[in-house]
Amino acid sequence: MNEILKMKVKELKTKICSDEIKSEDVIKACFERIRKAEPKVKAFLKLNEDHSLKQAEEVDNKLKSGAKCGLLEGVPIGIKDNIMVKDESMTSASKYLENYVSPYNATVIEKLKDAGAIFVGRTNMDEFAMGGSTETSAYQKTANPWDIERIPGGSSGGSAAAVASGMVPFALGSDTGGSIRQPSGFCGIVGYKPSYGLISRYGACALASSFDQIGTFAKNVTDAALLTSVIAGKDYRDPVCEPNEWIDYTNDIDNPDTLKTLKIGVPKQLFDYKTDSEISKYFNDAVNKIKLEGAEVVEIDVPAYKYVPALYKVIMCAEVSANIATFDGIRYGYRSPNGISLNDEYAKSRAESLGYEVKKRILFGTYVLGAKNYHRCYHQAQKVRTLLINQIIDAYKKCDFIFSPTTLQMPVKFGEMLPEECDIFLIAANLAGLPGITVPCSFTSTGMPMGVHFMGSRFSDAKLFKVARSFEKISGFDTSKYPIV
Amino acid sequence: MSKYETVVGLEVHMQINTKSKVFCECSTQFGAEPNANTCVVCTSQPGAIPILNKKAVEAIVKTGLALDFTINKQCTFARKQYFYPDVPKNYQITQSEPPLCSKGKLTINVDGKEKVINITRIHLEEDAGKLVHEIGSRKLDYSLLDLNRASVGLMELVTEPELSSPQEALSFLTELKNIVEYLDTSECNMEEGKMRCDVNISIRPVDQKELGTRVEIKNMNSISGVRDAIAYEVERQTEVLESGGKLIQETRLWEAEEGITKSMRTKEGALDYRYFPEPDLVPFDLSDSFIEELRKQLPELPKIKKQRFINDYGLSEYDADYLTSTRMIADYYEETLNASQDKKAAAKPVANWISTELNAKLNASKIDISESPVSSRNLAKLVSLILNGGISGKIAKTVFEEMYEKSLDPESIVKEKGLAQISDESEIMKICDEAIAENPKAVAEFKAGKERAIGAIVGLVMKKSKGQANPQLVNKILLEKLKA
Repeated sequence: MNEILKMKVKELKTKICSDEIKSEDVIKACFERIRKAEPKVKAFLKLNEDHSLKQAEEVDNKLKSGAKCGLLEGVPIGIKDNIMVKDESMTSASKYLENYVSPYNATVIEKLKDAGAIFVGRTNMDEFAMGGSTETSAYQKTANPWDIERIPGGSSGGSAAAVASGMVPFALGSDTGGSIRQPSGFCGIVGYKPSYGLISRYGACALASSFDQIGTFAKNVTDAALLTSVIAGKDYRDPVCEPNEWIDYTNDIDNPDTLKTLKIGVPKQLFDYKTDSEISKYFNDAVNKIKLEGAEVVEIDVPAYKYVPALYKVIMCAEVSANIATFDGIRYGYRSPNGISLNDEYAKSRAESLGYEVKKRILFGTYVLGAKNYHRCYHQAQKVRTLLINQIIDAYKKCDFIFSPTTLQMPVKFGEMLPEECDIFLIAANLAGLPGITVPCSFTSTGMPMGVHFMGSRFSDAKLFKVARSFEKISGFDTSKYPIV
Repeated sequence: MSKYETVVGLEVHMQINTKSKVFCECSTQFGAEPNANTCVVCTSQPGAIPILNKKAVEAIVKTGLALDFTINKQCTFARKQYFYPDVPKNYQITQSEPPLCSKGKLTINVDGKEKVINITRIHLEEDAGKLVHEIGSRKLDYSLLDLNRASVGLMELVTEPELSSPQEALSFLTELKNIVEYLDTSECNMEEGKMRCDVNISIRPVDQKELGTRVEIKNMNSISGVRDAIAYEVERQTEVLESGGKLIQETRLWEAEEGITKSMRTKEGALDYRYFPEPDLVPFDLSDSFIEELRKQLPELPKIKKQRFINDYGLSEYDADYLTSTRMIADYYEETLNASQDKKAAAKPVANWISTELNAKLNASKIDISESPVSSRNLAKLVSLILNGGISGKIAKTVFEEMYEKSLDPESIVKEKGLAQISDESEIMKICDEAIAENPKAVAEFKAGKERAIGAIVGLVMKKSKGQANPQLVNKILLEKLKA
């Protein structure tokens, strides 16, 4: 693999800006790697080789003439196919949006363009981000680059696989119930979901609006922090976006004393679930390593963890049923030629273009919001959500960060199911609007990576990056290792 | 006296008068090219997110304050879900509980009797777009969708079922429209669909406590139509009950041309809108200072203005009523007074000119006073001319005609047409002499003691002077001459 692709992004960008490396060569290296790995991994739904090379050339020319260098000048990035890039297709991996062309840029895309990033392609995902394996994509299955018979996780499986296999140094994804962090854990990379309201959702195809956040994939924590610095910040177009001042998330990230004074909480509930034995073992090792760094590890008690799968399902599906309603075949998207009345056209357009998982969630969400079920289901779930949030707030009185394995199981083979509690420690962050980051921890005996997850309190994102970076340094995980595909 | 009493409740939708829509930055301008006022938000493209227009919240709070509502400080939104092509998201963003305003009231006046009507709530929501099924008279075998109106802010006001006659409904809507126009929170233009009304009507035997079976008439777009539809429904429902039939709960449509209501759908398959809190718009609290600031901005409302007109300008109850019947008329009246040389002297004549001559003209040409070809400034000049003897009252009417037809100022008309009043005694004497000479019969009669005979001579003088001779002077000079 070309050494260019193994560089940290900050270094890469510095070299591009100082004309040591041409952006064009970086893009060429990317596509060389893509040509080799992509036939097996199938991480991308669409690649923009010609356009990317042209952009790289423009960057190189611009820099020659002494122009200012953006934070990500000339650096390639992969974009999950549910984020709007003006004049580009955006399918959300659904048949429904097969021919849809985005009329506008998402806020994060505008920020990336301003920073000089180059969009090499659109990454595969579960249809409308519904799923945890990228298998519900209407177009293709993406493989885990460490074992191509296994799932990469999801819903942002394409972004995770692309970064893990070295096709791009980093990528954007969206995380509604672990959709960035679970595939990052499965693929052995860093995956970060911000505090709810840290990054604008404007231009990200909505799944469950009260959980959705755009976040970042990278080979290492520093790159994830750098990318976050570029895309985070206030945006009047997203009312839930908090008006926080701009922060450089890479600032002081290498501070050697970060862990020294910290209290790290490990949930008691972790031991209530069947966990892969190697994951347990390496997690315990990780806990010990953290202790050695001077952190105090405490047990925390969040009994409501056990409700996470149920309450997530109820609230998420409720919001899905409303958000997906706009896909009706009237203004854009797939319209069935077989409709004989308005309602028939609605029904057939949706029946013929939406996948099973999407339909299942629409039906379930419609059910829980029905007048007869609202109080029993939706309203009850919201109450339990408040209970969970309060218990987590209480837990943060005893600790600074909550620490767990990213997932309780290793990635399964295509077609196999993961247990629903597999990623409850990730979903809890969505339910409570908290930031979470997964960092690679170790390779298991089968050569597959496993990750650990830190969850912070709301808007502790800068500190979360520092904690993650501190762990990265002591994990013993070789980030320079790439899967052989 | 009827055996039945009528129970009516109204749901009134008024388009909020803001420059941009309630959840995006598009213009609300009426009559634009189809879909010209649309964006990624109001056409519901993937990834689009609504943003709340603060001005729309202000308009509702102002309306609530003017109608004695309790303002709920908590501002929350909900999604009301139903599939229809004119609602691009297939849900409408609206307010469920709490609405912005709860428990208001409005006093109406029917046949000289005042009655307080309680209003349940006012809430904020977005309008739907428009489906077009025909172009001119040509029916289409497809439908066109115009989303210009989609996501324009609406305030929905719901009354308690306390109206008990067509006249009361008429009075309520007229008064409401007037107040809202005063506030300028909605243009209430019913032809442009900026004010629409759903009417709930039932009848019940006098002395019965429970409400009768309710019929809803949807989408009424004229106030007189509401009155007529209620009258028709009361008659229809009475007939059904009298003939031993049973009423069904249903939605009916008012066919204005035929003057009848027709069944649209029965309530059996009532829709489940699956309301739930809107996750894209964060709930927030209105501050006390925000509400107080709006209270300070409230304009003088019609009732208070009317009283002031009576007190300050010495107007009759009747004139003050007319002049405050819309804000536009009241503004025009006061603008005219402000442009007058002698405000006090002008107060009554200006009121008369507006309520008679100008009103008749505007009605005939079917335009609002705001578009009057006679500006308030020119009307002030006209009245001043009359008051200072520049022209006679009779000539003034001719001048006014010209002013209305040609939008000219009265002075130039008087000058151009030579209509100024003749107050030069020597000139009038000359004409009087002629008139006396030409009418010996009347002169003789006068001298014989028949004083009324002078009228004929005055008439002749006025005729000879084309009405321009100062009538007081003519009288005085003729008397002097005839008695000499």
